[in-house]
Amino acid sequence: MPLIRCSEINNGTKNMRRKTVGLLKSFLLGCMLCMMVFVPGCGGGSTATYHIRQDVDFGFIKRIAVLPMDNLTGDRYAGDVVRQVVISELLASGLADVVVPGEVVAALDKMGPKSISALTTEQLKALGNTLKVQAFVLGSVEKFGEVRVGNVSAPEISITLMLADAGSGSIIWSATRTTGGAGFMARHFGARTDTLSESVLKIVRATLQTLTKY
Amino acid sequence: MLDFMNSTEHRSNRGHAGACIALFLVLSCLLFSLDGCGVRPKYYTRPDAGAGKIRKIAVLPIENFTSDGLAAERIRKLVIAEILTKGVDVVEPGEVSSVLIDMKIKSLNSLSIKDIREMSKTLGVEVLMLGSVEAYGISNGISTTYPEVSIHLTLLDGATGNVIWSAWNTSEGPSFWTRHFGSEGPTLSETARKVVRNALNTLL
Repeated sequence: MPLIRCSEINNGTKNMRRKTVGLLKSFLLGCMLCMMVFVPGCGGGSTATYHIRQDVDFGFIKRIAVLPMDNLTGDRYAGDVVRQVVISELLASGLADVVVPGEVVAALDKMGPKSISALTTEQLKALGNTLKVQAFVLGSVEKFGEVRVGNVSAPEISITLMLADAGSGSIIWSATRTTGGAGFMARHFGARTDTLSESVLKIVRATLQTLTKY
Repeated sequence: MLDFMNSTEHRSNRGHAGACIALFLVLSCLLFSLDGCGVRPKYYTRPDAGAGKIRKIAVLPIENFTSDGLAAERIRKLVIAEILTKGVDVVEPGEVSSVLIDMKIKSLNSLSIKDIREMSKTLGVEVLMLGSVEAYGISNGISTTYPEVSIHLTLLDGATGNVIWSAWNTSEGPSFWTRHFGSEGPTLSETARKVVRNALNTLL
């Protein structure tokens, strides 16, 4: 009889130890999951800053010319790719009519500025008259490509878009947006990530939304 | 007493297994539902242009913004084939090239409205299709490779040079089954055909 009691006590202690270890494991797992969820939230995803001239009525803009983008990346076509998406999204959003890209390049060729970033206010005004537009979209691509962090690669894109008034040559809207990195679910559970093209579309759409919402 | 404790332990183990299965199912459902979160491309059609009445199109050479030198030509062939299957006539590509040479147009990047009008008149068409390929190749995902194709097609009115239709379309990344179970995905050619077809479906 005392022997049975002794084994009962031993079993009870074992069970207690097992429960404690189980609780500790669950606690550690919970802590790790929380860290994995909250730590990536500090810097990932998409960030944007934009400026809009409050004293300008954007209703007068009926026709826009999208100038070639400055390409500040190692990808030689990054500027052209972003420009095509900007044209497509401007048309699809119904914000304004867009001049045929070739017409813009032909007008620029005739005018002969050294680069788009070197366009003066007077040249912008003259270009506006030639193309019969009320505004220009200018911009640059700062980052374009896949970035590899650890064993995971994900698209990273950074763009700046500006709207210049063709009448005065002044900037009436500008926005900068960066997107990059794989999300928590993609990194840890292999969930779907955006392709580079999808990321371009998302970033351009989100950037233009700051203008269309206004 | 021992029997009772064993049965309690057994029940607890069963509970753990049940929780694990539930967690697995929840995660699977989450991954499966997150699979469809891709961005949807939009398109534009000029309301007064009568894009539905198009009978004949001249497809100009496509601009190539990829590292694959033949990507643009492949996409152009697909565009022509898809337009023809929709019952719309297409100008012979050689005829278009010949007109471009005659007009001394070196780059489509600088095609002006005046050039568009002249081309339209010479080729005897009301509309011209311009386009570009932004991506054409095999991209690397986190755990797998997949075909990626992105195109932008625009239809111009031959009389005014205005854009009457514009569509940008891209393929999606690898599917749930490809990523997690290694199932075979579509080839690059199949992906390109699908992207072109989906883009043209918004017009014709």
